[in-house]
Amino acid sequence: MKVVRVAVVVAILGLVVTLALAFRRDPHDIRTGTIGKPAPAFTLERLDGSGKVALADLSGKVVVVNFFASWCLPCTQENPALVRVYERYRASDVVMLGVNYQESRDNGLAYVQRMGMGWTTVADDDGRVALSYGVFGPPETFFIGPDGVIAGRHIGPIDEATLVNAIETLRARAVR
Amino acid sequence: MNGRLVIAIALLALAAALVFAARPHEVTADERIDQITTELRCPVCQGLSVKDSTSETARQMRELVAQRVREGRSNTEIEAEFRAAYGDWILLSPPVASWSGLVWLVPVVALAAGLVLVTGRLRRTETPKPDEPSSTQVAALRERVAREEAAEG
Repeated sequence: MKVVRVAVVVAILGLVVTLALAFRRDPHDIRTGTIGKPAPAFTLERLDGSGKVALADLSGKVVVVNFFASWCLPCTQENPALVRVYERYRASDVVMLGVNYQESRDNGLAYVQRMGMGWTTVADDDGRVALSYGVFGPPETFFIGPDGVIAGRHIGPIDEATLVNAIETLRARAVR
Repeated sequence: MNGRLVIAIALLALAAALVFAARPHEVTADERIDQITTELRCPVCQGLSVKDSTSETARQMRELVAQRVREGRSNTEIEAEFRAAYGDWILLSPPVASWSGLVWLVPVVALAAGLVLVTGRLRRTETPKPDEPSSTQVAALRERVAREEAAEG
């Protein structure tokens, strides 16, 4: 009888602890397969057709990869933050890279020009890069350290403070 | 005699049909694509497989699976590629040998524990059988019955 009571208490405690831990997690920071692993390599064409960009060429820098699309309303919402952060770090070792997701290059390019996105934007025509990063849907932002490892990801629209915090964390780690 | 012959022929036909149905056959590329995409979860849908979804993401995933099949990759290798990007979540049936596999294990363990507890309880609450009367008690009872019969006359 005592054993039964102890078992029930342990089961309830386990459930409470599990739920408490699960609800504490930030839904924007879902740790799927790619976090902590080398960023999948890719070479994609620039949206404006002026050549290709290879992730390997950005080795040694902090790279912010942002998946976006013109049909994605949250992308429009987060864009001002991205623009401010781009202006803040444009002369530094931080590279911002926009990956256009599931739309025609014409639409993507028109959006980039309309929204004042000065950073490099590339076209993921067949969606392979998004699939290799485990993207659920735009906007999603990945933070890649100078070592080429994905240090973090943010699902959904991102704000300036979160961007700066993630970038500074990676820069500080690179200095150490 | 005729009846036995018919039964024998029917049994033979049944066995032949079973053997024919169970014969090993080469799985085509399309069948493999269907198999794999049935097991993969569409990331932008609610509980739909990649095979059943009409979303653009599912279409791109089907194309990737088809390409990997053409390249000669095994089903496990193809699934591993998606698991590397999305985690075990991408599989509609979580693999047993993983943390997600607990969804298979926990109900079985809970059921077994429940059975053990219930069985233990039932054993304890069973009403004890009354002891057999001793020979002295039987003799006393017989004597009493005999006395009462004698008294009634």
